[in-house]
Amino acid sequence: MSHQHDDAIEVLLRKQFDGPVPNEGFSERVMQRLPPRRRRMAWPLWAGVVVGMAACWLSLSSAPLLHVGWRDLMGGELSAPAITLLLAIAGMSLLASWWSVTEADDR
Amino acid sequence: MADSAAEARIDQSLVARVLLGNDRRAFEQLVRRYQGMVRAQLRRLLHGDEAAADDLAQEAFLLAWRKLDQFRGEAKFSTWLYRIAYSCFLQSYRKRPSSAGDVDEEEVEKLPEPSHAVNLQLDFERALQQLSAAEQTVLLHCVQLGLSHEEAAFVLAMPLGTVKTHATRGKAKLKTWLAAWNETATEERTS
Repeated sequence: MSHQHDDAIEVLLRKQFDGPVPNEGFSERVMQRLPPRRRRMAWPLWAGVVVGMAACWLSLSSAPLLHVGWRDLMGGELSAPAITLLLAIAGMSLLASWWSVTEADDR
Repeated sequence: MADSAAEARIDQSLVARVLLGNDRRAFEQLVRRYQGMVRAQLRRLLHGDEAAADDLAQEAFLLAWRKLDQFRGEAKFSTWLYRIAYSCFLQSYRKRPSSAGDVDEEEVEKLPEPSHAVNLQLDFERALQQLSAAEQTVLLHCVQLGLSHEEAAFVLAMPLGTVKTHATRGKAKLKTWLAAWNETATEERTS
């Protein structure tokens, strides 16, 4: 009974709704008022990347692990510092890939 | 279901064309697809004031154009548009002085005795106007615009439980009124 009443009310509500309004030039009026699209500025992102890399380099340049790791890597020796460095590079690459894929999905 | 998924894909591709290629024609297609329902939504919210509803609808589409890069596809494009339109309505509503449209929730009790001679549709419209603004708005979105409770909650920025409560309470009030109307109509028919 209650369900029937609910249905009856929903039918009345739908009947009472006039439905979509015909266009009658509305879309054209909107399109005439549309401002040009502003492109998102890219420079703050790239400035942030450069500043971040510089800060990273400055803070790590004094760390012996980086120097030793780099030297070993260049010498073809897989020492603990070299492996740590490789793992750090791999981790950051994975994070960057994940971020790019997520951004691409959102678009 | 399949239709809805296909519609969503069309919307997504139109949005992508606007964002990546700055394609105004793609946006025009989006406007054409949804202007009818957005204007209908605003006309109901503004109690049939067509000019004001069209002004707000225009404002809503211009806002959608500016904020299109914020559309992430988590909701349907239509739902996202309804939300923008509803925000525009709320903003304009807050700017206006308090109107006679606000009805006390108790007023439904004071409805005049329904008469069989009066058209049911007209009486129903009047009864609907007696519901609280929140109940009317929820019923508009959930029943008349065909949104799910979750989608209505997103559009109206309300907790899901509140949406369900308003929908149930609004229907219950209408049900009470409809039952009284039926009784009177039956009595009149038998006498």
